[in-house]
Amino acid sequence: MTALAPPPVGVRPTTNGGRSNAPVAWMAVPALAMFLAFGVVPLLGVLFLSFTTWDGIGEIQPSGLTSWRSVLSDPGLPHALWVTFLIMALSWLAQTPLSLLIGVFLAGRQRYREFLAILYFIPLLLSSAALAITFKALLDPNFGLGEGLGIELLRQDWLGESKLAMGVVIFVVSWQFIPFHSLIYQGGVRQIPTSMYEAAEIDGAGRLRKFFSITLPQLKYTIITSSTLMVVGSLTFFDLIFVLTAGGPGDATRALALDMYKRGFQANLMGPASVIAVILVLVGLGLALLLRRLGGRGDESQLEGA
Amino acid sequence: MISRRNFLNLGVGAGAAAALAACGSEGPGTSGGGSKAGSASYWFLTGQPGEGIRQHAVDRFNQANPDAKITATTFQNDAYKTRIKTAIGAGQAPTIIWGWGGGGLKSYVEAGQVEDLTDWFGQNAAVKDRLFPTAFGPATINGKIYAMPAETVAPIVLYYNKEVFEKNGAKAPETWDDVMNLVTLFNGKGIAPFSLGGQSRWTNMMWMEFLFDRIGGSEVFQAIFEGKANAWSHPAAKEALTKLRQLIDADGFVKGYATITADSNADQALLYRGRAAMMLHGAWTYGSMSNDGGDFVKSGKLGYMNFPVVTGGKGDPSSTVGNPGQYYSISSKATAEQKETAKKFFKDTVLNDAEVKEWIDSGNIPIVKGTESSFASSKDADFLKFIYDTSANAKNFAQSWDQALSPTAAEALLDNIAKFFQKSGGISPDQFITNMNGVIGK
Amino acid sequence: MATLTTHARTADPSPEPEATLRRGSRRWTQRNWIGGSFGWVWLLIVMVPIYWIVITSFKTSSNYFSQNPMVPPSEPTLENYRLVIESDFARYFLNTTIVTVGAVIPAVVISFMASYAIVRGTGQRFLRYTNSLFLMGLAIPLQAVIIPVYLIIIRLKMYDTLGAIILPSIAFAIPLSVLVLTNFIRDVPKELFESMRMDGATEWRTLWSLAFPLTRPALMTVTIYQGLLTWNNFLLPLVLTQSPTQRTLPLALWSFQGQYSVNVPAVLASVVLTALPILLMYAIGRRQLLSGLTAGFGK
Repeated sequence: MTALAPPPVGVRPTTNGGRSNAPVAWMAVPALAMFLAFGVVPLLGVLFLSFTTWDGIGEIQPSGLTSWRSVLSDPGLPHALWVTFLIMALSWLAQTPLSLLIGVFLAGRQRYREFLAILYFIPLLLSSAALAITFKALLDPNFGLGEGLGIELLRQDWLGESKLAMGVVIFVVSWQFIPFHSLIYQGGVRQIPTSMYEAAEIDGAGRLRKFFSITLPQLKYTIITSSTLMVVGSLTFFDLIFVLTAGGPGDATRALALDMYKRGFQANLMGPASVIAVILVLVGLGLALLLRRLGGRGDESQLEGA
Repeated sequence: MISRRNFLNLGVGAGAAAALAACGSEGPGTSGGGSKAGSASYWFLTGQPGEGIRQHAVDRFNQANPDAKITATTFQNDAYKTRIKTAIGAGQAPTIIWGWGGGGLKSYVEAGQVEDLTDWFGQNAAVKDRLFPTAFGPATINGKIYAMPAETVAPIVLYYNKEVFEKNGAKAPETWDDVMNLVTLFNGKGIAPFSLGGQSRWTNMMWMEFLFDRIGGSEVFQAIFEGKANAWSHPAAKEALTKLRQLIDADGFVKGYATITADSNADQALLYRGRAAMMLHGAWTYGSMSNDGGDFVKSGKLGYMNFPVVTGGKGDPSSTVGNPGQYYSISSKATAEQKETAKKFFKDTVLNDAEVKEWIDSGNIPIVKGTESSFASSKDADFLKFIYDTSANAKNFAQSWDQALSPTAAEALLDNIAKFFQKSGGISPDQFITNMNGVIGK
Repeated sequence: MATLTTHARTADPSPEPEATLRRGSRRWTQRNWIGGSFGWVWLLIVMVPIYWIVITSFKTSSNYFSQNPMVPPSEPTLENYRLVIESDFARYFLNTTIVTVGAVIPAVVISFMASYAIVRGTGQRFLRYTNSLFLMGLAIPLQAVIIPVYLIIIRLKMYDTLGAIILPSIAFAIPLSVLVLTNFIRDVPKELFESMRMDGATEWRTLWSLAFPLTRPALMTVTIYQGLLTWNNFLLPLVLTQSPTQRTLPLALWSFQGQYSVNVPAVLASVVLTALPILLMYAIGRRQLLSGLTAGFGK
């Protein structure tokens, strides 16, 4: 693996910062090489393909800005961007408060809560494809949950109406990932020193005040980490949507990743698909930078920072 | 999607599953072998019963021709589509290319990747004459034949629940007006007129295929297929789409149809449980309905017929749509010896008596003329005869649109069909026509 | 009913702070009943689909549409499980295990090494750029580069091998692992490194004898998280392999669906069989996972 690519930059040990005198940079080389080979090189490849026309069968023909023009003038693009944003925002809004709440609850040390934590974990084990199949069957208006429980309200055209379909996607995403984020929060809460609560108690602080003045600020970095995972992760929801709604109804849930797959692998338009891929990467980068800035994480240790 | 249509799975229950399990444990999807000059490679799809029958054909050929063997490699449906495309693009195609004809084949032809078999069929008229003439449609690109039609037919059939019809004093529809009257009748009784697995998109497409054909005849879609500018603007297209819109608006399809998928077979369950009166679906659903529907099929409650006529329409009432066959092409990059081997395979082994028997035993109708006697004793003889007659007598057997068109156009088509079928906020016929004209010839 | 209320909650989380506000005057010693009731309601939401998966996996396919979906099968059958196991489940399971172990262990080891280098070599331009590159990588969705990855794998003549899934999986596990691990290694007191250096230990030795044990919880977390992602990965096996011998579980599940389009219960039986072993592992190792999560993300 390490032989795949040579280190691209001369590695010279420095004593800068007084942290290390021995050469350590080489230790980063294997990871860098792997990432260059299967992350950066393909990224450049996508950039290149975005300036070509290729149906996946014939020759790859350079065609300048043709693909870019066709994608940028396609009303499908702003729509896909909007859908992507919507999924990102809604799934964050749905997951964060619930995960926080359940996480705080789970942080209690009662035994039954540990048992609950095991059960909560199950959705995380199921692949998105399996989940999508399950929920599709459960939402069937004639043979699904509505029929089984005899609840008329559950008999909707769940995947046939744009708003409902979006709601279903968000719900399934939350169903799958809230457990994970709850566990993160549980861990975070357990790290908060009890002394802080005791001090607040002496000051006569109420439960709510303690939550907002101790728990929440102490969890700042946990929230940022969990949000980063949620937001960046939401860009990559592909298999779930692919199997659950296939982007439908119409194009109501066609997010960027799915749009790319459909154009490239189903419609044989590799050029435009690559354009979408480049846009997807740009969006992801923008978000990551934004979150980093929000997080304000420098090189300093967390303990000092907090 | 295509794999579903490929097999008329009369026996898809435990039997086929066991057969599949047996095949799965055979080891790598490669068998046969030998690297002699005449050895040809052949890629085809997994999935029973087709996989076993295809493999048996290869085995028979290899036994008879020890000097020029065929090496088979099997692929799962969607993986195959990706893989074959790339392999052909990279000039590494197998000698024999298994396919669906139509738009996919056309893209190979345009890239100069498959052999022209017109002359070969000229010299071997006997091979050609024993097959259904309609099967050659999707193999023919610009008047030349580029593939050997093979395997089985799967027309689309209008099924209905006889019990529900009798209870409500309804008669099987003969015209489109009858259809619309039945919609009113059944809706009044609280029964869904038509079952539809609308999330699967191609299920909706079958309705368009029939209406276009019945109203405007086969030339409407032919013009689209040939890439004539604005071919979707044909008045018959507008009329067909308007009629379809009326059907949707009149609640012709079961409530929540856009949430129902065809893969789960929930659409079939609606029909055999009497919650929907009718269903337009592929011939292959007969098998799963007789498996899962209790005594529904056995006791003769399942009615089936060809699509009704539209009064005043130009189309021939005998015409049908669906899968007229599967298609074997020869890579133009193969060596002369390999091509010879492939042709010998086509001539001697493909759809020979042994293979025909296997297809019929699995509940399929092979594309070979004069097989009626073979299925007379089957418990499903009536249905098999109906499928045979429909296919053999069809004036025109239109290939499913999504397979006839290029992948690019097909994806746009399915997309617009999904939007057209949205109950609220769906696109209008005019919008559909404009959108589809935009991808003509792509 | 409960499902309904919480579904509405999921879509609109705003009522929650209000509810908390109203109860603001209560004393903290009281039970956290908002969290508590959510905990139980959420359990219900989690368990209903899982209950359905389990009971349906014991139904026959003709039972599936003729019975109330929420009622246990009138004539339970093991047929679906037999079917799945006989359809080469063991091989798919083995393949998935090979891919997961083969991808996650190297990924975590090289990420750990890189993280150590990045923390210890702060100020070196090469390492700073490397770190930024990884941070950027956090934002590259696998889907975006799948086409070139596919072409590279074909070039390497690795198409349709388990290695084809492993290599890109390693690459895409690196950014997040490095992010988490660097954060953690930074918390190791500098004096410890200093004293190791005074003792004349090489960086390589310091890495394994000092940083490794101190970072173990975070390493666990990263391993488990990446393990789950790799275990359930769908896109890479879909695009990079084709033959049944190289199939992994999520893909097998999906192709079951195509082949047994009739047989939803069989699909669900394979879902159960796929999830059981990991659930067992989780039940056994949950304490470590929790401490790992605390260490890795929870700050």
